Order: sequence, then structure tokens, then C-alpha cells
Amino acid sequence: HFGFQTVTEAERREKIYQVFESVAKKYDVMNDSMTLGIHRIWKDIFVRKMNPCPGTLLLDVAGGTGDIAFRFLNYVRSVREGQLRRKLRQQQNLSWQEISESYQEDNLKSLGDSQVVVCDINREMLKVGKEKARHLGYSEGLSWVLGNAEELPFDDEKFDVYTIAFGIRNVTRIDLALQEAYRVLKPGGRFLCLEFSHVSNPVLSRLYDLYSFQVIPVLGEVIAGDWRSYQYLVESIRCFPPQEELKAMIEDAGFFKVDYQNLNSGIVAIHSGFKL
Amino acid sequence: RRAASGGGGQTPGQGPESARPQALEPSLLGFLVCPLSKRPLRYEEATNELVNDELGIAYPIIDGIPNMVPEAARTTKKKPPAEDSKQ
Repeated sequence: HFGFQTVTEAERREKIYQVFESVAKKYDVMNDSMTLGIHRIWKDIFVRKMNPCPGTLLLDVAGGTGDIAFRFLNYVRSVREGQLRRKLRQQQNLSWQEISESYQEDNLKSLGDSQVVVCDINREMLKVGKEKARHLGYSEGLSWVLGNAEELPFDDEKFDVYTIAFGIRNVTRIDLALQEAYRVLKPGGRFLCLEFSHVSNPVLSRLYDLYSFQVIPVLGEVIAGDWRSYQYLVESIRCFPPQEELKAMIEDAGFFKVDYQNLNSGIVAIHSGFKL
Repeated sequence: RRAASGGGGQTPGQGPESARPQALEPSLLGFLVCPLSKRPLRYEEATNELVNDELGIAYPIIDGIPNMVPEAARTTKKKPPAEDSKQ
């Protein structure tokens, strides 16, 4: 399904590629307009839930414009700063010898060896992300790869955390993407997915439907000059499996302690699982 | 550690683009494998590609971003007489 249309798998991939190629430059602006800026809070909560410590290797799939990657880097940087401050406080009474040794140790790395690889299938989205990174001053610990979530170009058991934020909905074979996620995670690694989900409250659901189908495509036309892409977006959300079903799919891929957390009554949900 | 030392080669057909071709982030080489075979790759500086010698294919690096989808790979012409079949 491409939204509410029925198409072949190959057609679906092609159509989705075109959607993101078309919206790439306006992606961030549209996110802010459609969600009234709330998507930023969802992403903040998502990274806070991840609670990465310095030294974490993150693979952010479908991470195109870098929202999760930048938040991750900010988070580990501030944790790292806290660590260094505490360390300094404890080291107030060192000898000169010890102080000069600590300078040589090169342990003042601001990111503490944390790294994030952003993988996306769409070149335009990656270009936007890379440009944003340059503009915002992110350079260390960040790299960009063009790849397919269903067929990742990464070696087994390499990453501590795998994230996919508002991307899994656009993957044609979700089962394959989940299997790949499992493969590239280290034992003990964590899978985290942030995605639009289903609202069970009937009143809220109707309001949400109204907003989605009446307002969003119009915004899409006005801001991005592209009604159809945003019509697809809204339809794809409706076609996506609800919380429990996605949980089962994640469990099928081999993850344990799979759980989900609803945000805004289920408009968005965070699913989490561990490779044990 | 983030060396700005560019990968040597010129990317062909990049006329008006800035002269220095963007090199691959060095740490990536530790993670990247061929998406098809999941086998290690070799960075070829001359063509700025990641080569899978076993399958005889090479993935391009464009603007510093490795293009790791099978559709983007080209078959590498090798000296041995065996003809590589197109993937």
C-alpha cells in the first residue's frame, strides 16, 4: 500500500523515494507547521529515553535531516561535560606529576568517543542533513551513509543503539528492517522506534482525523507546494500497524523486553526492545 | 582525529564543483560492509569507491557520502579473463 493506494513493492519504494526527494528541503519547516513544533518535544523525549552515555555508538536509520543525531550528540556532550566537571572536582589535590600526565592522556574528549552514523535511503534528505550539520557546527562523531534499512551496509553486532524516528512507516518490508536492526546491534544493544501510531480515544481520534485529512495536505500545498506527498503521509499513518501489532513484529525479529510508550494519547509511540 | 586529509583521487565529471573531492569519514570503514554479501570492502582512493573484490562491484562515494545500495554499484572490470556478470 502506498497510503490508501495499492501498488507493487517496487512501485511503493519508488513513490516513497519521490515523496522525500520532493519534500527534503522543506522537511523541517513542514514538521514544525504540521505538529506546531511538538515533534521537537517528541524527539527530545525519545533521546532522553535512550539516555546514552558517552562512548555509545548509535545507528540512526532513516535519519535523513539529522534531528535525532544532533540531539544525541548534544546529550552525550552534556553528560560528558558533567563527567569531566565531577572528575575535575575530585582532582583538586593532584601533584604536578599527575596533572601533567592527565593532559597527555587526551581524555578530555568532549564527546567521549560517542559516534552516530546516519543512514538514509534518500540522497536529498542526507544532503539537507549534512548541510544542517555544517551550519550548526556538528562535525565530530557524525557520519552519513546512503543505505537501505531493509539491507543495511553494516557489519554484524557493531552498534549499541539503533534508532528509527518517523522512518519505519516508509519502509516497505518492515520485517526485513527489524531483522537488519537485530543483526547490526551488539548483544545488549537497544532498538528504539519513534513513529506515528494509533489513537484509541474515539473523540480525540475524530479530531485527529479531521486535522490530518483537512489541514495537513493543505499545509503541504501552501508551504511545500506538494499536496500529494502530504496526503501520502497522512494515509500512511492510518495504514501503519498499531502499537500492539508493531510490538509483536519487533518481538518476531528476536528482541526482548519489547515495550511501548504512547505520547499524546497514541498520536506517537516509542517502541523499545533489547537484543539479549 | 577527524583528519581533513582528502582521499587522493579526482571524482570525474565534477566540473563546477569545488576541486577537492570529499573523502570518506575514516571511522566508517570500520563499520561498512557490502549490503549484499555483508563482506568487508576495500577503499579505492583512485576512484573514490568502496570495492567488494569478491563480487566484483564497487560502491561510489558522492560528496563524501558512500552510496551503499546495490542499484548504485558498478561492476569492476578486472584483469583476469572472467567476465563479471551484472548484478
